[in-house]
Amino acid sequence: MSNEFSRRQMLGMFGLAGAGALLTACAGPGTTARPTASAGTSAFSGKATGNVSFAHWRAEDKPAFDELIKKFTAAHPDITMTQDITPSADWTANGLQKLRGSAVGDAFATLRGSQFEQVVKAGVYADLTGTKAAANYQNPEAGTKNGKVLGLPLQVVFNQPVINLDAFDKANADKAPADWDSLLNTCDKLKTAGFVPIAWPGGDAGNLGQLFNSMILNHAPAEDMCAQIEQGKLKVTDSWFIDMLKQYQQLAPFFQDKSTGTLQDGARVMFAQGTAAMMATGSFDILTVRKQGAKFPIDMLFPKTVAKGKKSKYDGVYNQTFIMGVNSASKTQPAAYAWLEFMSQPENAGYYANNTAQHVGVKGVKYTDKDLSDLEPWLSKNNALAPRFQFLNLDVRKAVEGTTVAVVGGTSPEKAAEDAQKIVDQNRQS
Amino acid sequence: MTETTTISAVKPPTGGIITQFRHRRRRNGRRSALRVHPALYLFPLPAVALLVAFMAVPLLESLQYAITNWDGYSATFDYVGLNNFVRAFTGDTLFLNALTNNVLYMLVVVIVQTILSLLLSLLLVKNSRGGIFLRALFFFPTILSSVSVAFIWRFMYEPNFGLLNGFLGAIGLHQFQSAFLGDDQQALYWVALVQVWAHAGQMMVVFIAGLQAIPQELYEAAELDGAGRWRRFTSITWPMLAPATTIVVAYVTIQSFKAFDLLLGIGGNPPKNSLDILSTRIYTTFVNSHFGYAAAESVIFMVLILIVTVLQRRILRLTQKQE
Repeated sequence: MSNEFSRRQMLGMFGLAGAGALLTACAGPGTTARPTASAGTSAFSGKATGNVSFAHWRAEDKPAFDELIKKFTAAHPDITMTQDITPSADWTANGLQKLRGSAVGDAFATLRGSQFEQVVKAGVYADLTGTKAAANYQNPEAGTKNGKVLGLPLQVVFNQPVINLDAFDKANADKAPADWDSLLNTCDKLKTAGFVPIAWPGGDAGNLGQLFNSMILNHAPAEDMCAQIEQGKLKVTDSWFIDMLKQYQQLAPFFQDKSTGTLQDGARVMFAQGTAAMMATGSFDILTVRKQGAKFPIDMLFPKTVAKGKKSKYDGVYNQTFIMGVNSASKTQPAAYAWLEFMSQPENAGYYANNTAQHVGVKGVKYTDKDLSDLEPWLSKNNALAPRFQFLNLDVRKAVEGTTVAVVGGTSPEKAAEDAQKIVDQNRQS
Repeated sequence: MTETTTISAVKPPTGGIITQFRHRRRRNGRRSALRVHPALYLFPLPAVALLVAFMAVPLLESLQYAITNWDGYSATFDYVGLNNFVRAFTGDTLFLNALTNNVLYMLVVVIVQTILSLLLSLLLVKNSRGGIFLRALFFFPTILSSVSVAFIWRFMYEPNFGLLNGFLGAIGLHQFQSAFLGDDQQALYWVALVQVWAHAGQMMVVFIAGLQAIPQELYEAAELDGAGRWRRFTSITWPMLAPATTIVVAYVTIQSFKAFDLLLGIGGNPPKNSLDILSTRIYTTFVNSHFGYAAAESVIFMVLILIVTVLQRRILRLTQKQE
């Protein structure tokens, strides 16, 4: 028998391979293997062994995690651990796909908002309800879904303006204005004293909406106002939203020149150099401005948008993020859970906090970093969870937050709102 | 047919040999002594496998996704027919805005980059030391990654600390200072300028190669006939550069459709409407977990590039015929 393939046989083989490829291609979306359903606490009770992949996006926290992992693996000799760090933008876009494959991310972290919601919907988070780790957290609200604790939000950040106390003293300005007019008066004093009252990164897609968090809270008729805008229950053309935009109009002269093109880095430099008295991003930027040479004492200011004599519903705005969880498809769930429990201990969470200059959601943590300890009183104020992360659709968020840029750029609040509402409606119908 | 080609390649055939070969082939049928060893068909197999795995299968999959409402992670989905395509053209202003932006971006980049690289090539065609140094200098941005280019220019355009406004302020031209990317009317043009800056040197090299291939005798003859500089350019240089120009225009056109990393790097994620082009729009739709719709947008994008490429190839062929 000849060992040679005839041309017909070869064509047949190619045809067969092609048909196979075609069938593979047409297998249909969504038919790939899915993780099992949430595991529940019993899944964590086995022996904690094996290699744990810890997937997240915060490359800047790697040195702190490296130290903590050393300590963790020393206490658990049967566990090895690796950090799988993906750049933030990639993690937002592709994190879910990576986690579903479960090749990385036995333990992982997600951002609050659409990423967390998608990961929950895909069944990737194992249930942490009733675990010791969950009990060590103050209030893991951002990681809770339908009464189940699925993730533990390690970081707590404040998404409200940070202020240069020296500048406020020099201008004799009110550091805690109780209403909108007082805030405008404060801005006026700062401007008269030669400061840019507010450095606002209006050209930075990721951070232009941080101020929006504070501005919308006391106007909106519901706590989940952004979710309701996305669902069509509330509209940006409603009077309460227009009122908020009118306040942006009033703030515009107190922003730096050409603020609609300013990046986060630009705002940080203005604040660090003492040119701007306030920076409308959040506490997460304090570490960077310190590295840029800012020596002045720093506090925060929550813009109360209420009229004189009216009480503000909220006193601050914060976000819980870096929502750590155990992958329901992981083969080393007990070991991955052991890592979460380790990180829920005040000593270890405190090490992370003080070495990354972030507050944490774990109870009983002692802050030794000066800025963290100075700002600690804010943790116990009547704060609301940052509303902009209620948006699950990027196009809707962009359109709604974009109204503020349009208004500062000179568009009328009504026109800006109308344009944005069209995009919201369009996305809701899709 | 393969056999005939093989013989032709080895030796110019005479009528007799071809006739003999054809007779023998008819006699022996497929078992001709001159046939290619079937195992040779295995040689392209790795390439075919890669092509199938990374091109054909994803392409077929995206065609299938394009007619579903799959969200990217659920096990279930519905077939929605052509709804996604209809929506893209009738119910999605963001997609149409991105399409318009992309066409505008392409026009600006193609026109400015082609003219600039042609000018540079005319100035630097001589192989002098200075010319070679300047060519290398202008080519340099091409070797930078798009993301680096995006970040460099983000800072250049920063209105408060950026180099451009700083320079304008330093020379007293405050009235020309701008918010650059913060101005929706101008933002796209500023990004187009970055694309031109980054790739004009690359296209200059193509033009220089074309210029150096033009026989000097043509210029000498024209000079003897009394042709001036402009006449020499319009009657010799430009027509002789037609193939190079076609390559440049084709390349730049496709490049401007695919300027994803530059736009995302400069405009952030998602870029604002004035900086949204088709590739960034598709990306945002994927991130929003509308995989089915994003696949439909990708198919439209692919067809658009296909049309542009076919048109470019036709123009190239026409130009070659003219020669």
